Amino acid sequence: MRRYETIVILDPDISEDGRAPVFDRISGTISQGNGFLVLRDDWGNRKLAYEIKKKPRGFYTRFDFCGTGTIVDEIERFCRIDDRVMKYLTVLIDEAADVDKIKEEAERVESEKKAAELAKAQTAEETPPSDVPADVPEVKPEAPTQAAEALTTEAPDTESPDTETGKEE
Amino acid sequence: MAPAYKPRSGGARKKRIYHRRKVCRFCADSSLQIDYKDSKNLKYFITERGKIIPRRISGTCAKHQRPLTLAIKRARAIALLPFVGSLD
Repeated sequence: MRRYETIVILDPDISEDGRAPVFDRISGTISQGNGFLVLRDDWGNRKLAYEIKKKPRGFYTRFDFCGTGTIVDEIERFCRIDDRVMKYLTVLIDEAADVDKIKEEAERVESEKKAAELAKAQTAEETPPSDVPADVPEVKPEAPTQAAEALTTEAPDTESPDTETGKEE
Repeated sequence: MAPAYKPRSGGARKKRIYHRRKVCRFCADSSLQIDYKDSKNLKYFITERGKIIPRRISGTCAKHQRPLTLAIKRARAIALLPFVGSLD
């Protein structure tokens, strides 16, 4: 199986509810074609480098999935027809992806995320809420190291969500 | 035979130009990945008008210029980088 990545730019004027059917349709297509959706990554409303359909902004969403070419064909056919999709791009990431391994990885990331959240909640309990969310809080013996550990484990090695680029504008 | 730095006789006097050896950013920093989604970093390799900077200017090595070009073109296709004009 191959691993693909599809970026879809949706109309920014559509509400959250209006976007859901598009996402459902795409993820439905993936599961129908015996694919596996690894991640749906919403970048949110971003400024476009050039206007598309006279609109300066767009809602970016990235689908990271495993599947075959037929799934890609179907997704792209749908994107061409649907008016809510302003633009799309599919990129082949991995020619021979191991689905089981990716599934395991996804589960691992998920569980680590949960653990990190738990750790974060714990440290939040220990530190007073009035504390400014700075990187270096004043001398706290245990809490900051715990938080740092949690953060490092949280970061996935291959698929890094582009949070930084999202904030850029 | 003759030493390389022998001054040329006659004609326009050519002053030796010292230019800094440019290094490929991606070779120097292996943690830097070329990714079409990372428009922030790709920005350094396009001009103000949106053109791809040739590697003789930027110093990028051939091995990295190829994926870099592809990444910039992909980023353009998905409106992360401009085809023409500046990214404001």
